[in-house]
This record gives sequence, structure tokens and C-alpha cells, in this order.
Amino acid sequence: MNSILFLALKDLRLLARDKFGLFWVIAFPLLMALFFGAIFSSGESGASRLSIAVVNESSSSVAKQFVEQLQQSSALSIRYMSHDSARTLVGMGKLAAFVELSDSAKQASSFFLKDMPVIKVGIDPKRKAESGYLQGILTQAYFVLMQQQIMNPAKIQQAVDDLILQIDSSSTINPETKAVMKRFFSSLKQFTEYLSINGADSSSSFLEASPFASPPIEMEEISVDVDKPRSSFEITFPQGLLWGLLGVTMAFAMSIVQERTKGTYLRLRIAPITRAQILAGKGLASFLACVLISVILMTIAKLVFGVRVVNPAGLALAVVCTAVCFSGIVMLVSVMGRTEQAVAGAGWAIMLVQSMVGGGMVPLMFMPSWMKVLSNFSAVKWGIYAFEGAIWRGFSLHDMIFPLVVLTMIGVVTFTIGVTILMRYEQ
Amino acid sequence: MIQVTNLFKQYGELIAVDHISFDIYDGELFGLLGPNGAGKTTTINMMVGALSPNEGSVTINNEGFPTEPDVRKRIGNAPQSLALYDELTAEENLAFFGRLYHLRGKELEKRVMYALELAGLVDRKKDRISTFSGGMKRRINFACAVVHNPEVLFLDEPTVGVDPQSRNLIFERIEELKNQGRTIVYTTHYMEEAQRLCDRVAIVDHGKILALDTVENLITTYGGTSVIEAELESLPDESINLPGRLVGLHLRVETDTPLEDAMHLVESGVRFRTLRIDRADLETVFLNLTGRRLRD
Repeated sequence: MNSILFLALKDLRLLARDKFGLFWVIAFPLLMALFFGAIFSSGESGASRLSIAVVNESSSSVAKQFVEQLQQSSALSIRYMSHDSARTLVGMGKLAAFVELSDSAKQASSFFLKDMPVIKVGIDPKRKAESGYLQGILTQAYFVLMQQQIMNPAKIQQAVDDLILQIDSSSTINPETKAVMKRFFSSLKQFTEYLSINGADSSSSFLEASPFASPPIEMEEISVDVDKPRSSFEITFPQGLLWGLLGVTMAFAMSIVQERTKGTYLRLRIAPITRAQILAGKGLASFLACVLISVILMTIAKLVFGVRVVNPAGLALAVVCTAVCFSGIVMLVSVMGRTEQAVAGAGWAIMLVQSMVGGGMVPLMFMPSWMKVLSNFSAVKWGIYAFEGAIWRGFSLHDMIFPLVVLTMIGVVTFTIGVTILMRYEQ
Repeated sequence: MIQVTNLFKQYGELIAVDHISFDIYDGELFGLLGPNGAGKTTTINMMVGALSPNEGSVTINNEGFPTEPDVRKRIGNAPQSLALYDELTAEENLAFFGRLYHLRGKELEKRVMYALELAGLVDRKKDRISTFSGGMKRRINFACAVVHNPEVLFLDEPTVGVDPQSRNLIFERIEELKNQGRTIVYTTHYMEEAQRLCDRVAIVDHGKILALDTVENLITTYGGTSVIEAELESLPDESINLPGRLVGLHLRVETDTPLEDAMHLVESGVRFRTLRIDRADLETVFLNLTGRRLRD
């Protein structure tokens, strides 16, 4: 066992000292994940609209005007539906949020928009950016509506008349206070009559300085618990991770062929250790390297880019099984030629095709159906599938069994073929 | 003792080693001399157990095949290629190979230091192999073969491509190891190396052993006569009985005892303007055996 460990540690040390190799194994996959993640992210927040549901169950005209105001916003894509449908779709992650206006909700205590119901917003608490963005849009719509009310003196006069009547009929306000309030609102009415005669100036400092109340928005937190990536990084990091594993595969395949061409393999073969120990050492080194790369990239993904892990145990199994898979592929690739050039050429050709077909370059969801069928023959596809299952697809351990078994089988079969060919070379 | 019996190895149509048999005695420095492609490395690889022969067997110290772990512990091999990890330091390379032979702790440190001293590279022990010159790499390649203190040492062309300084150091170290009683198998295509170092030499060509004996016996048996070529200052007295053939002032003598004959001529009063003695060597032996030169 010690010999296997010494062999593995030697290989890991060699990998760590190969700066160029390390670039392809760690830096390149990370850059890929960041590059494509950033491209897709900017597309989400810039070009596309925020998809929300609007539930308008209020009979008030103000609520209707508010919804019309939202409809005019270029930042929103609105679908109208019932409360239950909206809640379900937000819960499934298919809509970013819902905005509800209902007569049953308490009314906002706004002087100018007194029939305005409370605006209820349902959104996943983790969508902090979208939440703030939506609140800004709602506030904007609210103030635009309020401004429209102010700009209509007849409406303000009507509102003041209603208030004076309410003050008169109130039994809780003492007579002195009633007198003061009535004087104030009468003065306000005279002022609005003056505005109505002389024309209003929307840019007057009076309007800008009005002490408006905050819009009546209530936030409701709805957690998303189903299969949709919340950010582009949840797609690009599994892809980048698989690129890292391809890098490890090529690095170790090259190290095996270098051992053969340089003669160090001959030294190993005549040492008092078995061939099985040598191969186990190689396998262990590539396995540990794959695990290490996975852990490093996933840690960066989680801590820096907020990529979630829905199923941590599943992720651990995905890391292990993918490492087994690519350790087997290392052995197969290493015997695809007798020289370093031959192995490098054949190896990268196979790796690139695997990646291309398996969704390492373009996500599978964007591929035609025939290519999706073809992708079943790619280890990259199953690796990405397993990682996505644990990261955002919400796979249970039961759901993960199939991809994990496929990955393990690929590893075992390719390792066996590789060892068989290697033994032939030794003859 | 190493016993090689009827060893045969074939790659497709090519016969690399053709039914060779020989014994190597304990403490002997045994040479395999032959041109490139003669089958020396294939023979060595079968002797160390890295390659399976199609026929025949190798037994080391009467204990069995070199594929058995106990036998392997006693074997050291310096392959012809520089079998080193370039991105590890000299010390790390030696320690790694030492560990494969179950050396640990202080014993490992001691042996690594010994090997570094043997290679004359103690002051470069922390440097990566990639920074070494060709000669230094060759010396570390040699040191890796002895780090685990083997009884039997196989050195496959250990001086290929090295500078004269490194070559001399390697020769000195090989002689030291021989003096310690180790059995050494040495392959080379440099006849002067075999002539300087080896107790016995097997001359190999096309996978066969053409001759096997001590260097002196090989020269005596297959080298032919030596030749004295001289230009005389003047014609000698008629009383002097000159050996060989005299044409003008040019004298040519074919003899088995060139030094004695030259001394006799000087004592007889013959004065030389130039004198050259061509003695037979292993190159001549190879030429006489194959009709080709070693480096052809």
C-alpha cells in the first residue's frame, strides 16, 4: 500500500510542478466557467425582462391603473393569472415573482391613492437582486400614478371634499381639532382651485417636495425548490469542472506515456513491486487529482459565485464516480499511441469530441435531439448530468444512481482496456 | 552467479536475441560489447525481468527469475535512457526510487546521501533534474541504480553522450563498486570502455554472441598480429638482420611481440625518424569477427 501511495504522491507532485499543466487543469476550466457564466449572466439582466405574474383581484380603479402602469414597463414581462397559479410558478422557479393586488388586503393609507390596495410581492428570498429590482419598478409605477393624481386638481378637490365630510362625521376628533383640520383642507381646496384656473406646472418645486408616503408593498418569501438553475454559473461551473477533468486526464495520460518513453516505467517495472501496484498508483494519483480539482472548482463556485448545492451527498458521489470514470479514461488514452505526440494528438481529439457531444462546450439543452441521443456515449455528458443533478436539478440519491453507475462503468471498462493494451506493449 | 540459458527474443520477423547462453561470476565486471541494434539492451531487459523472453531463462544468484520480488531487491539497473523525473530534484528522485525498494527513515537518508556522493552531486541535491547538464543527468541516472545497495548492477550504456569529466567519474565509481565485490553487467559500443573496465567481454552482433573471453584472450585469439611501421634515418649496416620488409627507408614488421621487437632494433643500432606500433584491440577483434567496425 505504501508503494502505491508513494507512486501517487510522486505523480501529484509532478503535476503540481508543471505550471503549464496546472493552467489547463485549474485555471482554464475556471476561466471558461467565468467567461461563459458572465456572458449568460449579462444576457439575463440586460436583454431579457424580468418575468413576473400579476394577480389583480381588486375592483378599484387605482389598482387597474397601477397594473396598466406596470404593463408599460420595458423591464417586465407580465403574465396575468390567479394567485394559486402564480404562487406555483414562482415556487417552481418558472417566474421570478408575482405581484398581487387584492381587495381583501388592507388598503394603503395614502392621501392621493386612497383606494390603492397593498401591493403583495411573492419572491424567493435568495433572489435578492431581482427583488430589489422589482421593488424599484413597483415604486416607480406607484409614484407615477400618484403624480397623475396630483396633476388632476378635480380629483384632489374631490378627495379634499371627501376628507372634510369624514372629519365632520367623525366622533373621535374633538371640535377644536376638527375646526383646525377643516380650515387647513379648505385652504388646500382653494389652492387646488387656483391651480385649476392658472394651470399646473408639473415641474414646480411644490410637487417635487410633497411628503409622499412609501408605496404599500408587502414582500412574501417563496423558496424555489425545483429544477432550474438560478444563475448561469450553475450551468457553466459543471461544464468548467468537466474541462478540468479532461485536463487531468490528458496530464496523467501524458505522464504515463512519458514514463514509458523516458524509461522511468522500466525502473518501476524492475522494482520489487507488482504491476498491479504501479497501475494502482497511477489510478490513485489521477483519482486524487480529479477529486482535488472538483473540490477546488466547486468551492470557488459556491463561495464566490453563490452556486448552490441542492444535494451535497449526491455531489460527493458525483465527484467520486466522475473521478473513477476519468481515471479509467486516463489509462485508455495513455495507450492510444507509443509516443507522446501520438497520445497527445489522439487524446485531445477524443476529449474534444467527448466534450463537444457531451455538452462541455454548448449546453445539451440547446442541442438538436439527435445530438442529445449521441451525447449518451460521452462521459462528459454523464459527468455534467451528475453534477447538475446534485447542484440544481434537485436529484435525489435514487435519481443519481443511473448517471453514477454509468460513470463508474465507463471508468472500469476503459481502465481494463487500457491495462490490457499496456501489457501488450510490455511484450 | 547469473546464468543466462538459451535466451531468445523475437519481434515479428526480427530476431533481437538469438539463443544466447553465458554465465557471469560473482564480483565480475562483465561486458556486452556490440554496435547499436546488436541486442544488448534487449538482453539486459530480459536479465532484469522487464521483458519476457520467448525462450530461455535467466537465474540470478541461483535464487530464481528476476521477476521475483526478492530477486529484484538485489538488482540495480541504470537504463540507457535517462530514466528520471525532470521536475523532481536529484534528492527527490533518489528518495523515490529508494522507497520503492522499501528504504525508510535514516537508512533512506543515508543511502540517498551515498548515491549523491557517488554521483558527485551533493551540492546540487535540491536542484531539479531539468536544470542539470547531460553529464549530470547521466550520473544521477547511474546513482538511482545503486541507491538501494544492490548486489548485482546492470549498466546499459552508462556513458552515452557525456562529457569526459563525467565519463571519468562514472568509470571511477564503477571500479569502486567492483572493488566492493558487486557483480556488474556493462553494455557499451565503446571498445575502449570495455577494454578498460571489463574482466570478460561478450562480443554481440545480430543477437548472437560471437566471442566471449577476457580482453587479452580475445585480442590474442581474434585480434591478429601487431604492426611496426618506421621511417629509418639511414640504411642500417648489412650486418644487422632486419625483420619484416624494408622499402627504401620505410620498414614494416608484422609481429606478435611489437614492443620487444622495437627495443631489439634500437639496441642493434637502428635509428628511427618515426616509429608507429599498431596493436590489435577489441575494435580489431570485432572487425575480424564481423568484417565491420563497431561504429558502422
